[in-house]
Amino acid sequence: MKIPTLRTLAALTALWGAMPLAFAQAETTVEPATPVPNAPHSLPAEKSWRFGIGLGYGQRTNPLIQSEDIPVVVDLDIAWFGERWFFDNFDLGFALVDNARFTTNVVARLNSDRAFFGKTNTRYVNFTMTSGGGQVPIVGPTTPGGPGAGVVVPVELKVPDRDYAVELGLEMLFDGEWGEASLRAFHDVSGTHEGFEISADYGYRWIHGRFSIAPSVGVSYKSAALSDYYWGVHADEVLPTLAGYQVDGGFGWEAGLRTSYYLTKNVRLAVSANYEKLSDSISLSPIVAEPQVIGYFAGVAWQF
Amino acid sequence: MAILIRTRLALALGVLAALPAVAADPPPVRLNVKPLLCVLDKNATACAVTFDIRWKSTRAAEYCLNDEALPAPLKCWPSAVSGETSHERQVTQDFLFWLSPPSGTEHVAEAKIEVLRVGSTDRRRERRSRHVWDVL
Repeated sequence: MKIPTLRTLAALTALWGAMPLAFAQAETTVEPATPVPNAPHSLPAEKSWRFGIGLGYGQRTNPLIQSEDIPVVVDLDIAWFGERWFFDNFDLGFALVDNARFTTNVVARLNSDRAFFGKTNTRYVNFTMTSGGGQVPIVGPTTPGGPGAGVVVPVELKVPDRDYAVELGLEMLFDGEWGEASLRAFHDVSGTHEGFEISADYGYRWIHGRFSIAPSVGVSYKSAALSDYYWGVHADEVLPTLAGYQVDGGFGWEAGLRTSYYLTKNVRLAVSANYEKLSDSISLSPIVAEPQVIGYFAGVAWQF
Repeated sequence: MAILIRTRLALALGVLAALPAVAADPPPVRLNVKPLLCVLDKNATACAVTFDIRWKSTRAAEYCLNDEALPAPLKCWPSAVSGETSHERQVTQDFLFWLSPPSGTEHVAEAKIEVLRVGSTDRRRERRSRHVWDVL
């Protein structure tokens, strides 16, 4: 699965590189519009609502065992910003402080780790992996020499169910000529995992002519309670095919790249790719097949 | 009855045959302006643009090029079937270039220049980044 994914990414990158040629047409002799920094001008008031939709093709890998990658054909961007309250893609927030140096919001959100658990399958397996790495048949619980002795019995192997958690926390947002950064700390308030997550992100956006490119990086610490709830194998979930496992808290990191080529004021071509490395302890869980999540998307986006 | 059906069929075919010809008719005057879009980042409020402006007409006539921000025409041409010019200007908001007769306000052809502000002028929105998984 990894190699086709990387190949697809490479193909998308090549396609993206060719796009400007297709749309440049006769503009080769025309200088692109050059932005003028800080020119005096009163900006029009912005609407409270923001609505965008992206249609195309992409997917996000699923790190869970016997799971399906998550297709991405539509991405919605829905937000509303009032005087202090805001709704931003299912984050509900209230601005506590907003000044030239930083913004501090209190935010309620849904935990994102749950997203992977909706795309898992139940399988019946005849073999299980021993601790030494070999496979041995699972033999039915029969009396020696009796009927059925030595018969290999298929045993259910199922990724445990997990619930969405509502988390409440604080975020501090900064921006400047150097880019934008955020610090976030969230704790479960729904009694689901009862853990917390602390994260820091940094991003920068360049614009040249009609192109925009925005790389970002981030690091997060997920507590043992959060990590174990989603990624551990709890005592009541242990099966002959699934060993118990307790996940410790740990650090993960992520990197992303969003690029756009603006066709008109409202329509753009959008290509994005992202990578998320799970913490070491999560990566070693028996329900985790891959230690990372890779995502990509290419399509057309409309902003209304 | 059969004659009526045939007549209606012939009429329908005639209309269908005429459609492509109607659709293919070029506009009498075409105005091409490049670039049509100014993309601004959050720290910029205007674009400095040199517009490349060209027009073509199916018949020779006198036309004047107008800029929405200016009270007088930018340039007028004597009777001609085409014309071109360049115009340097700072762009802060959407506006129109249009061609008109020398003594009229009619828009014979027009081109809209658009300004796109990437990001938000509201710093709370601008500072909120989307999750790394989100593709937009």
